[in-house]
Amino acid sequence: MTAITPAGTSRGTSPTDTGRGPAGTGPAGTRPGAPAHTGSRGTRLLGWAALAALGLLVLYGLVVSPADVEMGDAVRLMYVHVPSATYLYVGCFVTTVASALWLWKRTPGWDALAEAGAEVALVFSFVVLLTGSLWGRPTWGTYWTWDARLTSTAVLTALLAGYLAMRRLDVDPDARSTRAAVLGLLLVPNVVVVNRSVEWWRSLHQDATLARIDPTIEGDMLVALMVGFLAIGLVFTWLMVHRFRVAWLEQQADRVDLDAALAARRAEVAAPAGAAGPDDAGDAGDDSEVPA
Amino acid sequence: MTGVTTMIAMTHAGYVAAGWLATAALIGGYGLSVVRRGRKLSRHVPREERRWS
Repeated sequence: MTAITPAGTSRGTSPTDTGRGPAGTGPAGTRPGAPAHTGSRGTRLLGWAALAALGLLVLYGLVVSPADVEMGDAVRLMYVHVPSATYLYVGCFVTTVASALWLWKRTPGWDALAEAGAEVALVFSFVVLLTGSLWGRPTWGTYWTWDARLTSTAVLTALLAGYLAMRRLDVDPDARSTRAAVLGLLLVPNVVVVNRSVEWWRSLHQDATLARIDPTIEGDMLVALMVGFLAIGLVFTWLMVHRFRVAWLEQQADRVDLDAALAARRAEVAAPAGAAGPDDAGDAGDDSEVPA
Repeated sequence: MTGVTTMIAMTHAGYVAAGWLATAALIGGYGLSVVRRGRKLSRHVPREERRWS
């Protein structure tokens, strides 16, 4: 019995052969020594660019930028906090759009992209909450307060965690993706609430730093913040590409496992019939000898 | 050397250091886990399905 891969190529000689080889050898049917990872030339270039930009961020954020008149050196946390919040929003946007496209097109790639966006966004939401708390202690005198911006960000984090928990449910993959996609649609409306919370409610949190023609910071502080957007943007993109490929691989691995299980089941069903085959054939032969 | 002196002389240096280190640990740790998951899964999937390799 020969198992067939989703790509239609023959691999293995056993119905239980999933094509899983030892590390480094790769599955049967693949080129020996083929790279077994999610990297490519593009991601390597992106990774080096991200590392260089992070080095520049450390230089500008911790050395070149002056201390703020009001915040003191706590302003240096803003160079990580503000870009992380922005890319948290971007991750949520990616998930919502990919979820909508999954519900419309049912293309597995959109489902993988939605999952990647939510997971990376969750990591950035932890960074935002952590750096925000560490900034709040010397500036506001407290790590946490039930302010509109902080509370809505915590709700967004919980929503992202719930979305990812839903994706881990042991149910039919299609139904699971559909339910997760419906939850994914709620992310962007929640982001709008987080972003506008400082305007809609009385808030301890400061207003937008850059979203105006005359930003509230300038000089080396503005440059440090821009470098922060560049560095964390490159890191975000690198993470998104790798995480998307991991989600894609998870889908393909599930298909390979399903094919192997189906092949094993067909072999089980075919085996008794095959064993009885010669007798049946003999009977048929006997019957054929009976004159009409 | 100037950079190190600048950082030591900071106000709220502990908060700044904690924030930057925690960010590096969170993002770096997550990136590492993604790469590891990718390596592990890549061995289970035929090369034709790994379109980037």
